[in-house]
Amino acid sequence: MINFGYQRNESATLDLDTTHSELYKKLLDKEPSAATCISCGTCAATCSAGQFTDFNLRKIMLLCKRGDMQSFKPIINRCMVCGKCQLACPKGVNTRNIVLILNKYLHAGKISK
Amino acid sequence: MGKISENLNYPKISVVVKNMKSIAIIGSGIAGIEAASRLSKFGHKVYLIEKNSEIGGYVAQWDRLFPSQTEAKTVLNDLIKKLNNRAEVLTNVTVQHCEKKDRQFELVLTDNKHLVVDAILVTTGFDIFRAERKEEYGYGIYENVITSSDLEKMFAENNVVCKNGESPKRLAFVHCVGSRDEKVGNRHCSKVCCATAVKQACEIKELYPSCEVFNLYMDLRMFDRHFEDMYHEAQSKYHVNFIRGRLSEAGENKEHQVIIKTEDTLAGKPLKLTVDLLVLMTGMEPCYLQKTINSKLGLRSDTDGFLSTKNSFTENNLSNADGIFVAGTCTGPKTIPETLADSRAAAGLLNSYLMS
Amino acid sequence: MQERLVNSFDPFVIPYTFGLIFLLTYLFIALIRVIQALPNDDKFKLLKHIFSLKIFKSMKEIFLECLLHVKIWKKNWTLGYMHTALAFGWFMLIILGHFEVQLFAPHRLNLPWYPIFFRYFMMETETTMQGSFFFFMMDLTLLLVLSGLVLAIIKRFRRKLFGMKRTTKLRWNDQIAVIALWSIFPLRFLAESFYSEISGGSFLTAGMGSIFHWFYNFTENEIYIRPIWWAYSIALAVFFIMLPWSRFTHILTEPLFIIMRNAGIREEHRNSGYGKVEIYSCSRCGICLDPCQLVSVASLRDSAAINYTRHLRLWKSEKAHQAASICLMCNRCTKACPVGVDTAALKLNTKHEVVTFHTDQQYDYLTSKTAESGAEPAIAKTLEPTDVIYFAGCMTHLTPATKLAMTKILETSGERFSFIDEDGSICCGRPVLLAGARKSANELMKKNAELFKQTNAKILVTSCPICYKFFKENYDLDMRVLHHSQYIQELLKEGKIKVDPNGAKIVFHDPCELGRNSGVYDAPREVLKSVGELQSTAYDGAESLCCGHSIATESLPYRKRHMIANDAVEKLTTDHPDVLATACPACKKAFSETNKIAVKDLAEIVAENLKC
Repeated sequence: MINFGYQRNESATLDLDTTHSELYKKLLDKEPSAATCISCGTCAATCSAGQFTDFNLRKIMLLCKRGDMQSFKPIINRCMVCGKCQLACPKGVNTRNIVLILNKYLHAGKISK
Repeated sequence: MGKISENLNYPKISVVVKNMKSIAIIGSGIAGIEAASRLSKFGHKVYLIEKNSEIGGYVAQWDRLFPSQTEAKTVLNDLIKKLNNRAEVLTNVTVQHCEKKDRQFELVLTDNKHLVVDAILVTTGFDIFRAERKEEYGYGIYENVITSSDLEKMFAENNVVCKNGESPKRLAFVHCVGSRDEKVGNRHCSKVCCATAVKQACEIKELYPSCEVFNLYMDLRMFDRHFEDMYHEAQSKYHVNFIRGRLSEAGENKEHQVIIKTEDTLAGKPLKLTVDLLVLMTGMEPCYLQKTINSKLGLRSDTDGFLSTKNSFTENNLSNADGIFVAGTCTGPKTIPETLADSRAAAGLLNSYLMS
Repeated sequence: MQERLVNSFDPFVIPYTFGLIFLLTYLFIALIRVIQALPNDDKFKLLKHIFSLKIFKSMKEIFLECLLHVKIWKKNWTLGYMHTALAFGWFMLIILGHFEVQLFAPHRLNLPWYPIFFRYFMMETETTMQGSFFFFMMDLTLLLVLSGLVLAIIKRFRRKLFGMKRTTKLRWNDQIAVIALWSIFPLRFLAESFYSEISGGSFLTAGMGSIFHWFYNFTENEIYIRPIWWAYSIALAVFFIMLPWSRFTHILTEPLFIIMRNAGIREEHRNSGYGKVEIYSCSRCGICLDPCQLVSVASLRDSAAINYTRHLRLWKSEKAHQAASICLMCNRCTKACPVGVDTAALKLNTKHEVVTFHTDQQYDYLTSKTAESGAEPAIAKTLEPTDVIYFAGCMTHLTPATKLAMTKILETSGERFSFIDEDGSICCGRPVLLAGARKSANELMKKNAELFKQTNAKILVTSCPICYKFFKENYDLDMRVLHHSQYIQELLKEGKIKVDPNGAKIVFHDPCELGRNSGVYDAPREVLKSVGELQSTAYDGAESLCCGHSIATESLPYRKRHMIANDAVEKLTTDHPDVLATACPACKKAFSETNKIAVKDLAEIVAENLKC
């Protein structure tokens, strides 16, 4: 490639040629309903935690699918697991379980009970 | 011009009158009317069975039709004119009993009238999703939450106002109410609501140019000819705001304005919006009488509740029962041109079935 | 009555004695381990209970439940008789056997096999009142046990006669134990019958003995019938050895479980010794299968309480966790369990053992200074003092008709109130607790309690039974906690609101968390009776069904939840009510989604009929 003297910041790109979301595969294995999400944002709209913090389940699920775990790893447990999103979700996705599973894989054994 | 096309399409009545057969059409929406006029012109005796007191179905309730903004009245009147009173219209009745005798059907209607027909065409159409079922959207709870069909009536009566009689300064449309929603048992897309919402948004802007209009959509499905033009106009001419996000719940403030909670999924942030009027784009469901009719006629529905056809590509006007044909939205959501085309196809097929 | 043999030993007693020694050793070690696993204060509770008068209460319960099986009688007479016949009958055989030895050969009491093979070693020389009386009693008891056995065999093939649609499948270990158990009594019967010519017997054994004698004179060739005693001894030995590895462990653990439970020991943090005893007290009778809607409606048999305890027994922690995380925790199984095994508490511990949810930063957004979005959190605001605080609950915001009805009722009552989560708030903490994360729940509880206390309110009213249970039982609040059904009942009683009856036919569905799990059954019914005609169903009160939308389950697919809701609505509306009333936003949503009948919260029904 011609060097124009500046470079694209690689970390800002979702590189699907090299990234394969193992986490998403594991998630689908445990909670198949995650696959039916249509990213409508109902969960994020109704979310109690989302009022106060960057926690956004729609975004988390999308990033998980794209293999970008680092960006949501620190906030995954901001969720209060209240289940409001699950009641509102038009696709019947088990949203609470998704949060718990993702958290378990990202933080297994590293966090006190 | 009209005369030429009629002469081209239909054989002369005198030719076929000796072989006159009879057909019962169940449902007198546009599909039923169109099929009735075609079949009667073929020279058959047509009974048009309607559960309500008037024919015309849902189209009779609409104001203007997308994408051309043609008045629904005009379209319906054209169809009725073409029918030219050639069918026997039976209103305020439904099918009570049906028995097949050889190749004929004996129908008993709810007024105990007996009909013996050679074939049946089912054009039972659809029903509009009852918005009360999405309690969190507040229809029937908050006074300024209405449905798209309510708004259509308001347009027809030229009275688009909030409950307090004032004109709305901010208005939002919620797409996919009762469509693409497993929780209410409707996984399907109702096909016409996106275009209707864009059409109604333009009409609102036409009526109240200063009114801010928001369309909350999940996916904009502008699939048919000229739909994208309509969308283009909504953006370029009317500056309608399109927000990609689904409403999670609506609330009400002291001034009876509706507070909307959604997520702007493209911006990636929860969004709060207060509007004077909230319009729910209620989708299509199978007709509430479909199950009853199915049990009387021996028809089958698919898991989505719409009638199943023999083959969705090549035999989509044939039901699972011999001699019973299907057309229109009873086999799934359709636009008006699609419904009419389907109905004409069914009429042609029926004619060859009856002549064989 | 006199000893028939000078030698008080015969080789056939060896298997039995070996089995007995093995069992007693095992029991002793297990008991020590269980007690060791108990936290210290629980050990103290146990000691205190054993040396208090309350031990008699436990003894009574042990007698009624472990031997007579009173709770099973209440479910089904045939099933009750079967259990009584086997358990009480066998117990009486052992007791009477010891009495016989005590009375007629007291010097042989040190031999453990003596009471069991009494009729081999002892014989009746002359007819004495006492001897024949005991022989009669023993025969009578044996008949009782045998009748129970016949029923047990019939039950394997015709369980509907016993009021059970489903029962458990026998695994290989249970199969061996069951075969051993089933052969013990017929073998004893045969052995004693054959020997009735030698040792004497009563109506049953002597009668059968004379029939045998008619065919062949056994007395002359005793050697040919000795093997039957061997078989009897071996059957006992096999049963004793298999007992700790089969469903029959409950025979021994259940009394200990009753004592521990009555001593006030509970599982609170993890499955300790008490949990172990509880798991092994499950008799795998299968009574919990029919009430479980996951089994009856959703065909998820592996999640039933009985299979969950089995996974735990077999150390299949992954499977146990799966069962725990799919469970609705409606507690229908616990209510039905004749032993009283509280699997909901055990399941919570199972979840707690694996969940890693809490961190110190987890909910730091609850304090305004760290809110990432920069927005002022609604919950950081200080609340004005008031008398009544209304907390709708997260899910009630998705059923706005309920919260509007409550606002109308509160306004009409003239009470000074504030709707504290009108603009949303934080969760009560029970859902995260039900997911197993106790520490996370504690943080939410702390914040909520802090908020509530600011108001100095006397009453906290909530529309969500999940919040209600948690506020009432786990929060230490200085105010009365009421579910809205209770509060409306009070308002009606005090005349602060009045309703016009409209005569509508109403069926009330008890939400699990309000009814079975909190014991509030009457308040909603009283409220509804003031408005309409309350129809009763087979699923009232403690028999109430789960709507399927329980917050306790994590992995139950929506399709299955919907099946459960559909099934419940069908069962509740057989008498064609006008409206199906409930008192929980989750139940309301679940039932509305079936689109079968008008579903309303009782607050809506009251608000619609308020006399202003």
